[in-house]
Amino acid sequence: MPAPSRNAAKREQCTMDLRDYFIDQEPYYRPLADEIALFEAAYANRMPIMLKGPTGCGKTRFVEHMAWRLNRPIVTVACHEDMTAADLVGRYLLDPQGTVWHDGPLTLAVRHGAICYLDEIVEARQDTTVVIHPLTDDRRILPLEKKGELVHAHSDFQLVISYNPGYQSVLKDLKESTKQRFGAIDFRYPAPAVEAEIIAHEASIDRPLAQRLVAIAEHSRNLRGHGLDEGASTRMLIQAGRLMARGIPLEAACQVALVLPITDDEDIRGALTAAIACCS
Amino acid sequence: MSVPSRLDAVAFATVERRLKAFVIALWRRSPPLRARPHGAPDQPLRANFDGGLVRLPESFRGYSGGAAIELFFATVAHVAAHLQFGSSRFAVGGLKPLQVALVSLVEDARVEQLALQVYPGLRRYWLPHHVATATGAVTAPALLARLARALIDPDYRDDNGWVSKGRTMFFAERERWHDASISRTIGSLLGNDLGQMRVQFNAKSYVVEPVYRDDNMGLWDFGEAAAADDGTVLEAVRLNQTEGGASADRAAPVRAEAEVGVPVARYPEWDFLIGRDRAEWTTLVEYGASEGPASRIDAILERHPVLVHRITTLIRSAKVSRPLRLRRQPEGDRLDLEACISATMDHRAGHTPDFKVYAKLERRYRDLAVLLLLDVSQSTNDIVRGAGSSVLELEREAAALLAHAMAGLGDPFAIHAFCSDTRADVRYFRVKDFGAPYDAAARRHLAGLTGRYSTRMGAALRHAGRELAAQRSHRRLLLMVSDGEPSDVDVADRRYLVEDARHAILAMAHFGIDVFCVGLDADGDSYLTRIFGRRNVLQVDRVERLPEKLPMLYFRLTG
Repeated sequence: MPAPSRNAAKREQCTMDLRDYFIDQEPYYRPLADEIALFEAAYANRMPIMLKGPTGCGKTRFVEHMAWRLNRPIVTVACHEDMTAADLVGRYLLDPQGTVWHDGPLTLAVRHGAICYLDEIVEARQDTTVVIHPLTDDRRILPLEKKGELVHAHSDFQLVISYNPGYQSVLKDLKESTKQRFGAIDFRYPAPAVEAEIIAHEASIDRPLAQRLVAIAEHSRNLRGHGLDEGASTRMLIQAGRLMARGIPLEAACQVALVLPITDDEDIRGALTAAIACCS
Repeated sequence: MSVPSRLDAVAFATVERRLKAFVIALWRRSPPLRARPHGAPDQPLRANFDGGLVRLPESFRGYSGGAAIELFFATVAHVAAHLQFGSSRFAVGGLKPLQVALVSLVEDARVEQLALQVYPGLRRYWLPHHVATATGAVTAPALLARLARALIDPDYRDDNGWVSKGRTMFFAERERWHDASISRTIGSLLGNDLGQMRVQFNAKSYVVEPVYRDDNMGLWDFGEAAAADDGTVLEAVRLNQTEGGASADRAAPVRAEAEVGVPVARYPEWDFLIGRDRAEWTTLVEYGASEGPASRIDAILERHPVLVHRITTLIRSAKVSRPLRLRRQPEGDRLDLEACISATMDHRAGHTPDFKVYAKLERRYRDLAVLLLLDVSQSTNDIVRGAGSSVLELEREAAALLAHAMAGLGDPFAIHAFCSDTRADVRYFRVKDFGAPYDAAARRHLAGLTGRYSTRMGAALRHAGRELAAQRSHRRLLLMVSDGEPSDVDVADRRYLVEDARHAILAMAHFGIDVFCVGLDADGDSYLTRIFGRRNVLQVDRVERLPEKLPMLYFRLTG
């Protein structure tokens, strides 16, 4: 773990622009396998990394934890289907004197050496994702066409994307040429014991209670493909746990945090509610 | 607990999905659930899980609203416990009817106890139905009901010697509950005791209690001989047959008259050696498609629940036609910021600005017609390694799933099939036509396709193209599934039919028809790309994945 003084020194060197993007407190992360070592090795090579896995299994938390561990600022961009390349790299804006260039989040990270995390990259339009191509091979450059500038990536810059493979996979998928530029770390929901440990920690509830939540999640994950697109995520269970920590009974907490958000289908809700009732 | 909203009976059909999801959620297994019709009015009906199907009463008489729903849950949870913890069937052997009833009762208690160890909450579904009390006449049905309660309800007190004995024996074996043979041992012993007590037991009128339990037919192996003279078992067998054969379907074998085709057209064939068409060279003969059971197609959909669900989701998103943001429009409902900025910059720089500075949202609607053309030549009977079924079977599965998707989208579509037996007899089968609904008849035709003869692609493509050209859609797509090279017994030159098919495809482009081919031949790259063009061919290297590939491809092509 880096010493605080070294931390501070490193931050001082970093430009003002990115100072807010450092993470001060260690984000809680429970390693599931060797993903921390893998990521550290990848970062040492500045290898672009793709985090795969279902929603709410800890991808974002992991990358935040790694940014803290590596003591790098992290710039997160939540991708959406209307995102243009300009939203990523930047654009000219008007001011009284004329036009002025504003770096986008990606350019900011590239210029000053941050980890840039593009969350749910498949959501972005395919022409947008192409701008990351020159950054993710040996060139490590970002051409700003409109500005006529070629930004060479800072030596600390790394690109991380997240990608949920099961999600609308036919209509939205990464281009083959994009996929093949990345190393990938696969995330899954943790094993029951580990998941209970995470929930107990994050929601501050007893371990046995957390274990019951995990058993309930198992029901919803069984229904994946039989009425549910995705089972209850670890994040959902933590939310349910937090409600319980405030004195809400298990079944009510599960209704609020789990059954009602996950589906609008009355039949599936009925089945889930009945299955939850069986657990206690 | 929910309050009864209506005071009428709850039909199985209204809770079927919920029950199914319940079983999947608990045990991760999805047994096919079916309704079991009521018989005589005075005959209480129980669930049954004989022969791979779980049949639940179509409704529970005397129960309504929330209570009926709870009872359905209790029933399906009980049957699921059997499926989860039961083992192979007990042989009836020399057991007396009373012993059979008691072994079943102990087995019921055993699987319930095991299920309760995993899900203690199941008790709240089952316990309310155990209403036997330790009073009243000592009859066999009453004692059996009391024993049933004693084996599940720890708070129940019963001083009857036989009931207490059963309870002690059952709980003494707590450690061995995972072994189904204890049910048989305990049940037969208790049966003996009850027999010695000279309590009357009428096997004909005996009904399993409480109401949520099944009739136990699924527990027993009655043997061939016994089955013949036992009414209840007979009934079960009969039910099986009607469901397997789906009585509504006429599972007619290929009829003789179906073999007589009607010649409907003559098409030219391209001879690449002489570089010109041979006029009226092939005769296209339409045959009535033979019929198979439509339930075969429904079974396909049931075998792929995950895929069907994915398709349904995709249908929904494809159908609502996602809004498309059009930028740099001359008019629109909002300003396009990018365009505004560059216009202002141009203005300041002294250039003429572009005045298309608006953006608007637009929905694009689907307007396309699809013809799915299946190759049903002899080679499609080959068994695919790793899949255990033939190419034709996989084509059928793929077509069924695709048809499900297309019918859901409301795109006009047709499914045709072809094979050939020399140029004089290019056989063409209409499984479903453009105007026709995708109904039981279409499914029967799809189920009845058989693989024979050769693959003269060109003539079939021309015919399908003509059909498609008559459709008035904006986009017309011919989707072909083929497992091999074009060939026929009267053609020696391998290139000849390939070139002819290529020619047919080129001609179709003139009519604005898109053609796409799904090739199932791993070595088909050379000739399929030659015929259809590199971009219009998808090679499926693992044929067993065709059923999932084809609908997804369709969404890609038309999305």
